[in-house]
Amino acid sequence: MKITIDPLTRIEGHLKLSTRIENGIVVDAHCSGEMFRGIEKALIGHDARVAQQVTQRVCGVCPYAHAEAASLALEDAMGISPNRNGILLRNLIVGAYQLQDYLLHFYTLCALDYVDITALLKYRGNVASLIALKDWVGSELKHNKIYPAAPFLPRYEGDYINDQDINIGAIAHYVEAIDIMAKLHKMVAIFGGKAPHPVTIEAGGVTMTPSVQDIALYKSYLSEAEQFIRTKFIPDVLAVAQAYPHYFSEGASQGNLLSYNSHLDADTNKYHFSSGATIQGSFQAFNPELIRENHQFSFYKNKPDQDVAPLKGAILVPLNESEFKAEEAKKDGKYSWTRAPRYNGLPMEVGPVARVTNTYHKNNYPELTHLVDTLNRKLRISLSQYNSVMGRHLSRAICAQLQLDLIKRDIERLEPNQLAFKEMALPKNSQGMGLTEATRGSLAHWIETDNNGYIKRYEMIVPTTWNMSPRDAKGQLGPAEQMLVGTKIADPDNPLELARIIRSSDPCIACSVH
Amino acid sequence: MNPINRRHFLCKVYQAIVACGAGHFLSFSDLIQAAESPDTEKPYLIWLHGSSCSGCSTSFLDLDGIPVTDVLTKFSRLVFHPDISLATGNDVTKILDHMPQAHTPYILILEGGIPVAMPHACMMGGKPIAEWVSSLASKAKFCIGAGTCATLGGIPAMHGTETGSTTLQAFLKQRQINTPVINLPACPMRPEHLVYTLLHLIHQGSPPELDQKNRPKKFFKRTIHERCIYYADYQEDRFASKIGEEGCMLKLGCQGPVTRNDCLIRGHNGNTNTCLRAGHPCVGCASPHFPRRIMLHSYGDERAMTNKKDQWSDV
Repeated sequence: MKITIDPLTRIEGHLKLSTRIENGIVVDAHCSGEMFRGIEKALIGHDARVAQQVTQRVCGVCPYAHAEAASLALEDAMGISPNRNGILLRNLIVGAYQLQDYLLHFYTLCALDYVDITALLKYRGNVASLIALKDWVGSELKHNKIYPAAPFLPRYEGDYINDQDINIGAIAHYVEAIDIMAKLHKMVAIFGGKAPHPVTIEAGGVTMTPSVQDIALYKSYLSEAEQFIRTKFIPDVLAVAQAYPHYFSEGASQGNLLSYNSHLDADTNKYHFSSGATIQGSFQAFNPELIRENHQFSFYKNKPDQDVAPLKGAILVPLNESEFKAEEAKKDGKYSWTRAPRYNGLPMEVGPVARVTNTYHKNNYPELTHLVDTLNRKLRISLSQYNSVMGRHLSRAICAQLQLDLIKRDIERLEPNQLAFKEMALPKNSQGMGLTEATRGSLAHWIETDNNGYIKRYEMIVPTTWNMSPRDAKGQLGPAEQMLVGTKIADPDNPLELARIIRSSDPCIACSVH
Repeated sequence: MNPINRRHFLCKVYQAIVACGAGHFLSFSDLIQAAESPDTEKPYLIWLHGSSCSGCSTSFLDLDGIPVTDVLTKFSRLVFHPDISLATGNDVTKILDHMPQAHTPYILILEGGIPVAMPHACMMGGKPIAEWVSSLASKAKFCIGAGTCATLGGIPAMHGTETGSTTLQAFLKQRQINTPVINLPACPMRPEHLVYTLLHLIHQGSPPELDQKNRPKKFFKRTIHERCIYYADYQEDRFASKIGEEGCMLKLGCQGPVTRNDCLIRGHNGNTNTCLRAGHPCVGCASPHFPRRIMLHSYGDERAMTNKKDQWSDV
């Protein structure tokens, strides 16, 4: 039989999931990115600095990462790097944004796949916001509305948490997280101008000159966020992990993990999170020359059998409507707007698991090593089990805790009233590459400019392009497709398992296709 | 909830209503009534993503003051939102197929553009988003365009794109659908603008006063430039010649004069900051010209000087 989920909600963007089930087990899976804008091609002819503002809008959930990658790419072409305050301000904008994104992913997008929202009906406590929600759910169910208690119902039914205290605690935090996320966005706005889509990260640094008041305000929000992350978010992730231990062995990708350097230390000039490629458990140094893209199963006309390097292939031409329909009707036709990037020919999972695993193997970030070892002992798991549904949630909690400590240190180092920006002429006939880590994984931008400083060529390979890639010409599944294969489905009418697996990889479809 | 607790809670909610500018048509007693009579008709909201980035949805969650959960439960009923709803897969298409036939008033909010030249460039539940917008908008009481893509074109309609991304209003006109449209441009949409508009629609039964582009005059009457903190510098010819220098940033590419929005009054993220206060020229994210060919540029960049109008005249 077949199970199709279209649309899969509580992710970013338009995703269709198709699976084939035999004897209750997923034997084949296709992930289709369903929205195309054509932004790389559109950038051609625009001023090189426009890429920062435009590519941020590839994604309204992780725009900061595109701003950073675009600026790094142009700085690479210019041959400059930001000054100390520039590095620190970027870390502070990016760091606060990543924390917001981790909370958004866990609470708003994923938590109610595990936590039972109907536990509210049995609530006996006295927290005003929860009583208000309980009254509302109760009256919705009583008054025979259409779609009562939407947006919380209908839902897939399944094995939600039974423990009333865990449920109620997590629902309270689901509501509270919205407020903390808004505060984290305020921290972004303090140095970035606004969030989403902060404007100030530009090639040359950050346009904002911080004042003492700005620093004080950032710190005051940071202490509130820290309180929430340490006392609520991390314990909630651990509670869910302990309630579903089997999810440490489900939803594994092929086991190839890619990450780029991120969070530059402004004083030592070293990165805290390391680049690398762990392939079947063995760690290798990262080499950007090994990145290729394949389009055999993507909705473009180009020669599908060739793997192309960034900026090297012909500009992609999207299929027109009749070609699109013809491909959809074919048995083994193209099925996604997402392309298929490969590293040394292999599909790679990117994201917090790769970030944590590669940095752990590199063994030059003692705080990370210590935290991973401590959690592994507590949960009785090993690093290899991070390649799983719960490993992904746990890795986000690890990254959040470390990120928190890093920005606490960075804010103390920031020098008030010091310009964080150097102006530089636009590079002509030049190329640059910008690599960083977005919350959901490795992000790369490539730029080529013409003899007037306009964009001649632009290319992005985005975290979800890796994770949600379709098959390639060799028939290798994309990492998320692989995560689904082998999954046991308890009830085909309520395939909660599939949704949990896909959401654990935090897809951003608008990003992946762009 | 005990009455003191409840009153305190509602006071806080009301402060936020005043802060978003809706105090003049929504009194405290209206609020108490809304909160205490769960049976009154609260309009259903349906939120769709066209060619979008979800930035307006994330921005909506940043609403300052009123808890988002209150907006969604006390004043309205969010029947579907792609990032919030627990409903997924077939449940979603069932809800969206059913709503136009349900004889229940609802408001459609569209975030993102509609690719009409390539309808297959934005699909949901096996159908182009254009078809969902068409069927849902035709029976909606009001439609709201959230953000620049849905209202003025923005990124999916930028120069060089080929999907033919169009705005909600232009699309409804093509399809001869007469549902009133309220446009809330800005990239991302400002959450206060949406809440004000929703409260107005719900409690007055009509849109707030709109300009020629169907934007609420309350927010979009003036340009950024007119309210700018550097307006006096502009008048005195004090122009910044580089980032970090005091003065009007017009000669570094500021789009303030061609952009209408109230950023300089209400600020971003609960008035935490504005782009200009953060040392960056306005990028014009609420303007029909966004994104321009050249935005932030060096002082005296001849390329920016020579193509003032659309900046594409030499292409």
